[in-house]
Amino acid sequence: MAASPLYILLCSGEHEKLQMAAMMASVAAVSERPVEVFVSMNAILAFAKDVDPGARYQGGAFSRLLKERHAPDALTLFQQGKDLGDLKMWACSMALDVQGWDIDRLQDGLFDGALGLTKFLSDSETGQFVTL
Amino acid sequence: MADQLLDVKGLNCPLPILRAKKALKDLPIGSTLQVVATDPGAVKDFEAFCRTTGNQLVESKAEGKIFSFLIKRTA
Repeated sequence: MAASPLYILLCSGEHEKLQMAAMMASVAAVSERPVEVFVSMNAILAFAKDVDPGARYQGGAFSRLLKERHAPDALTLFQQGKDLGDLKMWACSMALDVQGWDIDRLQDGLFDGALGLTKFLSDSETGQFVTL
Repeated sequence: MADQLLDVKGLNCPLPILRAKKALKDLPIGSTLQVVATDPGAVKDFEAFCRTTGNQLVESKAEGKIFSFLIKRTA
């Protein structure tokens, strides 16, 4: 039986939550589980092309540990999930509009396009839904 | 003797699983991959990974803090 798809609504810009979203998405994708990630609110700021790598991830005590221990980069984990499994990433069309951004402002190769929340919620009715 | 050895000692979740998936993808069906890890979570992780991907976990063993998994690519 095919695994139930996993839908991740990623809103937080906190490093710890971005990292967990990337870990969940990549592991599920390589475990033959379809994954869709909808990126909105502060989370979308971490995916901008022009962010200084040192300032991309802001967080608390655990964020400092992740950096000190050289934990795998969250964006790299998302990319590996896409390369090795069925992982789609969507940029929230509202968040792009509020920022005044086109999707080209986001990291190359990660996003499958811009999407509205209504469509994402509709698609997610048949799967497991996680919010971070 | 496995067809390929993957040493992921020192790497934490989720890298051992991601590296194993990449290695299996490049192996022909029927081939075996031996993964050597130090992440204690890897024991249950590789059981779940093989169950969900349909690959066969031929052997799982621990020697001290070193964990070894023999996986046959069947899917």
